[in-house]
Amino acid sequence: MEVLRLPLSASQKGKLISAGYTSIASISSTSPSHLALELKVSENEALEILKSVSNGSRLQSTSSSLTVVNGAQSAWDMLQEEETTRVHITTSCADLDSILGGGISCKEVTEIGGVPGIGKTQLGIQLAVNVQIPYDYGGVGGKAIYIDTEGSFMAERALQIAEACSHDMAEYSRLYHKGPQACEVKTMQPKDFLENILYFRVCSYTEQIALTNYLDEFIKDHKDVKVVIIDSITFHFRQDFDDMALRTRVLGGIALNLMKLAKKFGVAVVLLNQVTTKYSDGSFHLALALGDSWSHASTNRIILHWNGDERYAYIDKSPSLRSASAPYSVTPKGIRNSSSNNKRIKHI
Amino acid sequence: MRPENLLLRPTPSQYCTLGCPILDAVLGGGIPCNSITELVSESGCGKTQLSLQLLFTAQLPRHLNGLAGSSLYLYSEFPFPNRRFNQLVESFRSSHPILFASYRDPRDYIFTRDCQTAHDLLDVLLLLESRLKNPKETRLDIKLIVIDSIAALFRSEFENNARDLRRRSSLFFKISSVLKSHANRFGIAIVLTNQVVDSIDNGEGASGVRIGNLERLYTSGRRVCPALGLSWANCINSRLFLSMHEVIEGAENGLPDADYSGFVNRRKRRELHVVFAPHLPYSSCEFVIRKEGVFGVER
Repeated sequence: MEVLRLPLSASQKGKLISAGYTSIASISSTSPSHLALELKVSENEALEILKSVSNGSRLQSTSSSLTVVNGAQSAWDMLQEEETTRVHITTSCADLDSILGGGISCKEVTEIGGVPGIGKTQLGIQLAVNVQIPYDYGGVGGKAIYIDTEGSFMAERALQIAEACSHDMAEYSRLYHKGPQACEVKTMQPKDFLENILYFRVCSYTEQIALTNYLDEFIKDHKDVKVVIIDSITFHFRQDFDDMALRTRVLGGIALNLMKLAKKFGVAVVLLNQVTTKYSDGSFHLALALGDSWSHASTNRIILHWNGDERYAYIDKSPSLRSASAPYSVTPKGIRNSSSNNKRIKHI
Repeated sequence: MRPENLLLRPTPSQYCTLGCPILDAVLGGGIPCNSITELVSESGCGKTQLSLQLLFTAQLPRHLNGLAGSSLYLYSEFPFPNRRFNQLVESFRSSHPILFASYRDPRDYIFTRDCQTAHDLLDVLLLLESRLKNPKETRLDIKLIVIDSIAALFRSEFENNARDLRRRSSLFFKISSVLKSHANRFGIAIVLTNQVVDSIDNGEGASGVRIGNLERLYTSGRRVCPALGLSWANCINSRLFLSMHEVIEGAENGLPDADYSGFVNRRKRRELHVVFAPHLPYSSCEFVIRKEGVFGVER
């Protein structure tokens, strides 16, 4: 036990162990008065013990300023950290951004699913362009990795969306950046946007697994990647697998890798999924493909669907966002606000 | 593994012209390579006409927006449309006399094969892969594959129970995966034709799911939806719907003689609609089928 290695008297060590303090981390987070009560010693003695504990741990490990010992982090510290570094990637649709709390959040895995033709690939391309918006324009200023499994990515469409984004940025610059600031702010050309989208085409499920495993190394070499988009995660897995248990295991492995990527590098992972029909309670419902076991892979789940003649996005599962739905539209410029007069954002 | 350079991708030879500038404009240039495009309509609307036309336009050189390659026509509905095919050969040769002079017959660059079942198709595609990898003859540089029709391949061997439907569904993904893999490796444009089934108007149920820009698909006054269902819709990249309606035009235009007041003109109006495509907004245009081929009509 770590406590035994501390430079304390034997009776002090004995009192610590019988009170239940066996590791340095547990002692370091208590206050002197609390420790004094627990050990039935004077406060001065408790203060001495704590001093020797912090001395000892400083010699033992080179830890970050947030923790006394490696691995332990209080929820308060996590909140402080999140408030300073939480970033969102805008979707260019104000209604959608507002129900997402600002946009697609980095450090999390978001799954977006819908019927063919609803705009999944369009949203994917829009995010790949929007992640590149520089800090000066309220963006993240990063690069995008786009993994295409279906062949739906059309470079001409990406160029069109990049042109619209570049145009919007120039407008914003004209209105808000005046005087000496104007010359510092750089403008991005549509060509630059395409250069910053790192595009991979995957043609089988083995390639998909290999690429997911390789991403760790790749992102280490390309630290400015801020979003990984997989379009779509399902296509290669809906073929006949002789052994369904194998499929579940493989998908579980991929899910784990992606969650680790998101956490470790602070990138947003966006998974585009297909829908199937599920028969329950006597009627058909649309459900995301890959089954129930896959539903644990993502932190947030958004379902895109038609409501009359409008496209709606609905937050199906999220630990931090309210269930809500918002309309959006697909225009030649990309994803934008819906232009209809009777749109409404519904909070459920 | 290295990422592709996106700036090298959009080159002019990436689309195959349909042979008509109006139709090409609706499709943003033509049928894209490295992608699966589905033509869905009821029978007699013009799917086969359009696909036969593509077999020829694919042979056009790059500066005329063709793919400068051969075409492969896999058919599952018998018989092979011989008479119409020969008509198109004649009209094509007369409209491009220099390219298709007497020594270069366009038929030499069109390969056909019949397929009865889905497994037949998979076998053909496997065979094709080995031929495409080592093209001993330059004529085998296939740049367009047409499958007419994909629905007929799945007609006979599947019952309407959960197990067979699941088996059918995984075959969809398998076929689509093989096609896309070939399309990507060899830069091939793939066109499939599909049929429609009547849709019972209840809005619920598996066939009531709206897919794409059109809430409902109507042809010949009936509400229809494409065959093979939602899972097949996930396997294709673009879907084009061809519709047909009978239109009655009155006698207000043209006839000066008052005795002919009861005259009406009945004709079939054919339209092409973009249901969904990753690079196209919704658009539609009218088209006609003439002896020389399929042509769009200007508004």
